[in-house]
Amino acid sequence: MKKVFLEGAISPEFIADSIAKHQGKHSIGAHNIFLGQVRGDEVDGKKVESIEFTSYEEMANEKLHEIREAAFEKFDLTCIHIYHSLGNVKVGGICIFVFVSAPRRKQVYEATEWLVNQVKTEVPIFGKEIFENEESQWKVNS
Amino acid sequence: MIQVKYFGLIAEAANCNSENVAEENKTLSQILSDLTSRHQLGDYNFQVAVNKKIVSNLSDHVLSDGDEIAFLPPFSGG
Repeated sequence: MKKVFLEGAISPEFIADSIAKHQGKHSIGAHNIFLGQVRGDEVDGKKVESIEFTSYEEMANEKLHEIREAAFEKFDLTCIHIYHSLGNVKVGGICIFVFVSAPRRKQVYEATEWLVNQVKTEVPIFGKEIFENEESQWKVNS
Repeated sequence: MIQVKYFGLIAEAANCNSENVAEENKTLSQILSDLTSRHQLGDYNFQVAVNKKIVSNLSDHVLSDGDEIAFLPPFSGG
């Protein structure tokens, strides 16, 4: 089972390093990357300062494995990497990183969007938005 | 014994992350109904997973000793 969950924000260095690791895979002609960043929404005059992520990790890992297998069936891909934060991620931090590689361009666009949608709707991850005044509300995906 | 896990908003509302309940030949619907009323979860929206799989037809589900039930509020990853 591939490791998906990382504690805290996903650093730009981690992302750059992931890209670099593919330079030896010469069947790849296209990469596509989705990065989700914590947005400083304002709700009733209060600004979101961070999101605290929790997960039912054992189920999430099983589900993510199924999603990866389904994506390889559905699209002509060379590799898929999915990372998601757990714990606290401040506004501006990256909390999801989906990285798709294939021989050609068309497949990576479609596969990335499909994968991000699957992670948001099918994987038991829960975000709690923490405001500047330390109040909080549970995030709802739109 | 059945292990019950609560997540996110539901864990907060129940003020509990996990607990064990005795099976006593109860069905999944009976156990859920007991826990929902004990923790006052009636107003909340959640799905139920048994052994890490979402159960859509709760009334037909038969539990075995050692099963793990999870109360899952709407997912909000990403």
